[in-house]
Amino acid sequence: MTLRVLTVDDSRTILAMLHHTLSNAGFEVLQAEDGRQGLDVLMSQDVDVVITDINMPVMDGIEFIKNVRASGQYQSLPILILTTETSQDKRDQGKAAGGTGWIVKPFDPDKLISVIQRVVH
Amino acid sequence: MSDLDDFKATYFDECSELLTELEEQFAAIEAGERDADRLNAVFRAIHSVKGGAGAFGFTALVGFAHAYETLLDYVRDGRVELTDDVVTLCIKANDIVADHVNAAKTGDELPADYGHEEKSRFDLIARGGSGAGSEDDDLNGEIIEEFDIEFTPVMVQLNIDDADEDTFEALPLEVAPGSWEVRFTPFRQLYARANDPLLLLRELSVLGEINVRAVMGEVPALSDFEPFGVYCSWEITLSAPDLTEAAIREVFEFVEGDCEITIVPLGGARISSGQPDAPSSHAAVQQSDYADLLALTDDEVAQVAARPAVSPAAPVAEEPALSFADLAEEISAATPPRVPVAAPVAKIVPPAAAKTGGDGEDGERRSVGVQSIRVDLDKVDRVVNMVSELVITQSMLTQQMDETLRARYTELVRGLEVLAQTTRGLQDSVMAIRAQPVKSVFSRMPRLVRELATKTGKKIKLETIGENTEIDKTVIEQLSDPLTHMIRNSADHGIEDPEKRRAAGKPDTGTIRLSAEQAGGNILIIVEDDGAGINRERVLQLARDKGLVAPDITPTDEQIDQLIFAPGFSTADAVSDISGRGVGMDVVLSNIKKIGGSVHVRSWTGKGSRMTLRLPLTLAVLDVMLVKVGENPYVVPLSSIVETIQCSGAMFERVPSGGQVLQVRGEYVQVIDVAQRFEMVSTKAADERFVVLCETEGSQKVALVVDDIIGQQQVVIKSLEENFERVDGIAGGTILGDGNVALIVDVQGLKVTQFHQNAA
Repeated sequence: MTLRVLTVDDSRTILAMLHHTLSNAGFEVLQAEDGRQGLDVLMSQDVDVVITDINMPVMDGIEFIKNVRASGQYQSLPILILTTETSQDKRDQGKAAGGTGWIVKPFDPDKLISVIQRVVH
Repeated sequence: MSDLDDFKATYFDECSELLTELEEQFAAIEAGERDADRLNAVFRAIHSVKGGAGAFGFTALVGFAHAYETLLDYVRDGRVELTDDVVTLCIKANDIVADHVNAAKTGDELPADYGHEEKSRFDLIARGGSGAGSEDDDLNGEIIEEFDIEFTPVMVQLNIDDADEDTFEALPLEVAPGSWEVRFTPFRQLYARANDPLLLLRELSVLGEINVRAVMGEVPALSDFEPFGVYCSWEITLSAPDLTEAAIREVFEFVEGDCEITIVPLGGARISSGQPDAPSSHAAVQQSDYADLLALTDDEVAQVAARPAVSPAAPVAEEPALSFADLAEEISAATPPRVPVAAPVAKIVPPAAAKTGGDGEDGERRSVGVQSIRVDLDKVDRVVNMVSELVITQSMLTQQMDETLRARYTELVRGLEVLAQTTRGLQDSVMAIRAQPVKSVFSRMPRLVRELATKTGKKIKLETIGENTEIDKTVIEQLSDPLTHMIRNSADHGIEDPEKRRAAGKPDTGTIRLSAEQAGGNILIIVEDDGAGINRERVLQLARDKGLVAPDITPTDEQIDQLIFAPGFSTADAVSDISGRGVGMDVVLSNIKKIGGSVHVRSWTGKGSRMTLRLPLTLAVLDVMLVKVGENPYVVPLSSIVETIQCSGAMFERVPSGGQVLQVRGEYVQVIDVAQRFEMVSTKAADERFVVLCETEGSQKVALVVDDIIGQQQVVIKSLEENFERVDGIAGGTILGDGNVALIVDVQGLKVTQFHQNAA
């Protein structure tokens, strides 16, 4: 079964690169530009794994993760946090909010795939 | 990666949006709006620039953006105060970021120390602000090295926190290839973050030969079973050649702090699965967690109870054999009944129940703001073009309905009317897709004014009005240069020094007002200033010196003002050194002409001046006069036509230079025979031909002689350069209703501007 990945990032460049890498790896890719849009996607579609940025307008990644975890429906949805090298404390916040793991920007395509495979059933 | 170039294009595209956003935000911040939203927005913008730059290995940009971002982060969380100095520094930093982005784009090299001064100031401010001294060493640019290689996977090194270092520092990091014992006890929160011991075990099994033993604690009765509870820990022996501790630790990277892990090298010997002390040591941990479980608050209990689908039988029956398949054999047969420790709730919650849970938020989420999609501009252009064609076809159909047909086919006529309405509506909607607020251009101007004020030592403020006025994107793109020139002129030559202003009874600070408004089918963009106005004496003197105005001609004030647009007038360096206007105004004119607009200037001595740009709403459709030259149809933009005259009644005169002029109501106008100009043979006798009298910029006229006038219509402009090549005197092409191609005459391009010839 094709895995469906939701990527949430306000940078088009990152979204484009994620899309490329993930779809090349055979995943189905859904995209959202902020946490709010991400929640909308989750409301309407089943997703196997989420990759989310932290710094975003409207709703940031931390809020987004908290909302997903609070929804009841997605308590065991793997959520990977896409972080930069500087955001150790952000990563901790993300983890505290319920993030499953993280991916460091700039991401290595192979590594990205293996990280996803590590958290999905 | 072959698609790297595409990604880069996206990135640079995004950067230019982000830089515009920065400009806008800082204009507001400078004006005193220092709220959290703005600070977050500027932080995010720099963060995104950096994120992409990292992906492409633009090291210098990453380094600078990183230091800048850190400063912004400190400002954002209040560690650094946003003083005027900091704002000024940030505005400068925006320029440096823009330069870095540009250098990355063009491949040019900036000086190695470019922006270093600002960077060290960030550092200084950040340190001062944090008060804590120097823990943020990454400000010093060390980070740059991490980005030396594209797509460096940096996960492992970065994620060993202090607590774990303590635990493991006694262990030698480099252990002989062989076997390891891993003891793993999850805590409750591990499940809450959607991590799953099963997946970790699966991951370990990828590393090498694996032997797993589940150590059961006290498993409650199924009725008391709590899905996220901890009832089990694992002992794993793992062996593979060259297996390092780091590799094992990486598997547990995401769950550090959420579990207890011990990794012990076995030096090749396998640990017995029945090692006596292991279960008891882990039992303690389990017990304490179990105690946690017992200490659940009433709310939590209620929550657990409310989870409808954790039916006692379901987890046991469904989970184990299925997902543990590849591990099942490895797990000791002696293991007590396998309770699905990590049974993920969502997997077994029936959809209906899940839905009920989400309903409240569901309603809230529906109220999301404007939604948008991003579309390739080419696609929109295609639609715009086709709709324009549709509009033209429709009006052609309507025109062909003569009175007799109208009387006979009333239904058809009604249908055509509805069609006309719908087509117009469609055209408006399609045009609206490409429309953009002029804000995107206006927002670049405050910085320009700021720079000019600094450079000239004047006090200048910029007011912008109507920045939400929308214009077609293709028009907007052409606006930046002309506006820059016009504002530079106002600041350079219009606004006076504070002393002069005071002497003239004006406030020290001069005002430049930039406004946009819609006026019918046009957009007016006006640049006004309250400066000294155009120095007409000076301008006229210069024009005479350059031979632009003959000595015996005395132009009106308005004509003098228009002189600043004359090509050649502004090209001499001398002009910019005196107080006359004119720097680059011919550039303004040609740019605006190119997009079918016009420029007018008015000046009031001592009070200021006003430049008005009149722009079409869109570039796609043009109202034209269809004429014939030789056998070929040509179109002349209607906006430039003053009148048409039959040649037989016109008064032509020969001039010594060999050309012809036409006398129209006492004014001499340069004559251009279009047939001659394009080397064609006229089909008509001289006095049967027509003159199309056109006005070019600066109110100068030109008389085009054509063979026949066919009528007015709308056409869709096609670029000649894209489809063929640039031709002087031709502004583009169009396809007529009958399928013929007609060329669009570029009136300004045809005209050779020679004042003295007019005067002859």
